[in-house]
Amino acid sequence: MKRIYLLLGIMTALIVGCSKKENSNPSAEIKIVSLTETVNPVIAYDTTIITVVATGENLKYGWVANHGKIKGSGTSVKYSACQSCRGMNTITCRVFNETGEVSDTIMIRVTPWHSTK
Amino acid sequence: MYRRKKYLLIALCLFIAERAFSQCCTLGDPFISDAEQPALQSKILTASLAYRYSHSGKYYSDDSRFTELPFQEIAYSNYTELQVGYGITNWLTVMTDLGYFFNKTLTTPGIDSYKGYGLGDLGLYAKFNAFSSSRLKLTLSPTIGVKFPTGVFDQEVDNVQLPISVQPSAGSYCYLANLFVSKGFRKIALAGFASYEYSQLIQSENFYYKYGDQWIAALYFNYRPWKRVTIDLQVRNEYRSKSNRENEEIVEASGYEVVFFTPQLSYAFKHDWYVSAYADIPMYKYYNGIQMSFGYALSFRVTKKIDFIALKARHSANQSNKSELGVNMELSNELKQ
Repeated sequence: MKRIYLLLGIMTALIVGCSKKENSNPSAEIKIVSLTETVNPVIAYDTTIITVVATGENLKYGWVANHGKIKGSGTSVKYSACQSCRGMNTITCRVFNETGEVSDTIMIRVTPWHSTK
Repeated sequence: MYRRKKYLLIALCLFIAERAFSQCCTLGDPFISDAEQPALQSKILTASLAYRYSHSGKYYSDDSRFTELPFQEIAYSNYTELQVGYGITNWLTVMTDLGYFFNKTLTTPGIDSYKGYGLGDLGLYAKFNAFSSSRLKLTLSPTIGVKFPTGVFDQEVDNVQLPISVQPSAGSYCYLANLFVSKGFRKIALAGFASYEYSQLIQSENFYYKYGDQWIAALYFNYRPWKRVTIDLQVRNEYRSKSNRENEEIVEASGYEVVFFTPQLSYAFKHDWYVSAYADIPMYKYYNGIQMSFGYALSFRVTKKIDFIALKARHSANQSNKSELGVNMELSNELKQ
């Protein structure tokens, strides 16, 4: 029986331990100048390049897409999406350093794939 | 005792029911659930460790292979899961499982792959022994359960979040209910399994997505050619309805129906150790829109059963044997004197 209590204890600790990350503080020292894409709308399985220009020191860049995939890192990344990601998708760019972070989003429409044959 | 062993062996074959792998819509961890086991007897504990390799690569549109895409992608994962079940009473068994992905990878030739890894979701289940007759060799076990999104869902590489398809967690609570029925005959047993799963909406800062409901129906044929060896043949139909995204928009290229054939070989070792190996082979696939389809999966499982009542009885017998031995020795000493 002790083993079962131990197991339950471990599981509870795991649940408690898996809490969400805290948001970073906004920074007045960082400014996103532009966030642009090369192709929009983009056909499913095709690629568009997204580029961010920001001012600040020792900047780092983070990227999240609500649907689809991001390849690469830094100031310029490639975005692509499959057929199931059709629609208006949001790509969030986070620029941060030791003083805090700022973020901006760009909307990219993914249209259905069609054969070019 | 043999009946119990036989049911446990049947149960081993029912562990696996893999969610089909579609490119952007894969739920967190594979659906390797105790839910398909019959309820355990009171004070019996089973603990098992499973390993699973699954592989997907072919795109499907409706029920046909889709080859027009100008690239090739392969998705594969190496997954392990610890599963523990305990019979609190003869009618209630509680079960839990927790998985870990060594990798969950999506790769395209010539391009860096996406690789997620880490803890999967924690499952908790209550299984009821609604009906069990040793005379009829019939069991009926309904189950309810929940999967907690305890696993890794926001994994990043170089500050770039990985796509949902390679995140180890489903990102939301999943609720399930199922029913397991087993009918034994002399050397064979037939079993049926029906399951429904509801996935809650994933609503976070970056994601808004709801997986479609899942239905599973399975038939099992269980044959024991030798005392310790069991062969299982399973045919399973998995259906998942379409997903929803922002503004209640239906994701047309989501949802599927797959019929699997799962052969399995199990061996019962001494001291209640069980080992089994099985494969999931899709026989029929239907995917809405264009999606990456499930390829195959290979699994192995080691299970240990502990019967606390038997242990206690053995311990008591040992104690009485020792005291009996002590009395006999005293008598023999007295006689010698």
